[in-house]
Amino acid sequence: MSSTVMASAPSFTSTSQQFLSRVAPPCPIQLPTVSVIARAAHENGGKPRLPSRLLKRLALSSRPAAIAAAAAAMVAASPLPALAEQIEKAALFDFNLTLPLIAIEFLLLMVALDKIYFTPLGKFMDERDSSIRAKLSDVKDTSGEVKELEDKAAAVMKAARAEISAALNQMKKESSAELEQKLAEGRKGVEAELAEALRNLERQKEETIKSLDTQIAALSDEIVKKVLPTV
Amino acid sequence: MNVISCSIKTLKGLYDISGVEVGQHLYWQIGGLQVHAQVLITSWVVIAILLGSVILAVRNPQTIPTGGQNFFEYVLEFIRDLSKTQIGEEYGPWVPFIGTMFLFIFVSNWSGALLPWKIIQLPHGELAAPTNDINTTVALALLTSVAYFYAGLSKKGLGYFGKYIQPTPILLPINILEDFTKPLSLSFRLFGNILADELVVVVLVSLVPSVVPIPVMFLGLFTSGIQALIFATLAAAYIGESMEGHH
Repeated sequence: MSSTVMASAPSFTSTSQQFLSRVAPPCPIQLPTVSVIARAAHENGGKPRLPSRLLKRLALSSRPAAIAAAAAAMVAASPLPALAEQIEKAALFDFNLTLPLIAIEFLLLMVALDKIYFTPLGKFMDERDSSIRAKLSDVKDTSGEVKELEDKAAAVMKAARAEISAALNQMKKESSAELEQKLAEGRKGVEAELAEALRNLERQKEETIKSLDTQIAALSDEIVKKVLPTV
Repeated sequence: MNVISCSIKTLKGLYDISGVEVGQHLYWQIGGLQVHAQVLITSWVVIAILLGSVILAVRNPQTIPTGGQNFFEYVLEFIRDLSKTQIGEEYGPWVPFIGTMFLFIFVSNWSGALLPWKIIQLPHGELAAPTNDINTTVALALLTSVAYFYAGLSKKGLGYFGKYIQPTPILLPINILEDFTKPLSLSFRLFGNILADELVVVVLVSLVPSVVPIPVMFLGLFTSGIQALIFATLAAAYIGESMEGHH
């Protein structure tokens, strides 16, 4: 991984330099200045230096051509140095060791987060999930048990009800028999009384008729006496 | 000559007005190689924030979650959901990668918008979101590329390279090109969005230092979140794509 990054780094830096030269203000004189300073800075280990120090360094290196070029650049564009320096430093696409370091940091962070966050908390959550699921299914099981109990209760209720209804029927039967017996007795009594009363009535009628007969005879005798006075 | 100096003056004027320090870096030298110190510093802060809050919240998980644990459980659910939709049933091993990608980018982006980095003065450059630097975004994008190659190769072996001639061998160049455009688009999208967002805020603050930048700042927060989501979703989608069967 890091080897590929390192291999790709040089090409990136070259593109970044191209980018820099393109970013610089579009004027013919300014370009060489920036590139000279940039190159010098590059020789210097990438450390940007102030143009005056650069000049000194170039003078010490005793390269007439370089001195001349730098001096010409300084004279040609006096307001440039500050901006040139800024733009020279403004390395937007500056690839260096930061890239692999960040990659390593990221991998370490990934391992650390995995150890203290993703795996433990994930495991914890999964365990809680499964325990809740187990409890839920347990509850479902007890609901079956409850159903069984309910069935049993219903059966008991049914039996009790049947027993009660049987007892009730028997009681009803018994009481109705008793009732009928009493009713029959009562009817018999009533009938006997009725018959006696009828008999009494009959006798009284006969007696009355008998007495009426004797009275009729006496009455007819009297009527005959009255109608036929001195027989 | 006059024209040139004039145009340079205007340029410099604009440059000074904006007060933006684009592409200025604080360099550290490590073994003859340079690093952007401000990026490393802010990335350490971001990592510290992430690890600290996670340790605080998840140190002692409760069955009935409250506060921080609730939040991090929600985040984990969110990441799992995202990975599951993009990768499919075998998303499990990829949750740390996708999750770290999302959290790191999200916290980085928001740190750039919310943390008062400007209080700390650097000799060169300034502290800002780590994702403001192309190195960070390219590192993340390259890691994504490595991840999806690894996913495809571990799932299908060398048969993974068969996807380059799917559906027809004519598309071979385009399929190869895709492997380069994926990290390129990933890194430049994130880099451009975050840098542009911070630039817009800084320029607006320098022009109108009250009220006006506030909606743009909120827009920046929104964009930052969306960019983190997009990066994580695309990474998951690439991994899922290289793992799914080609017929």
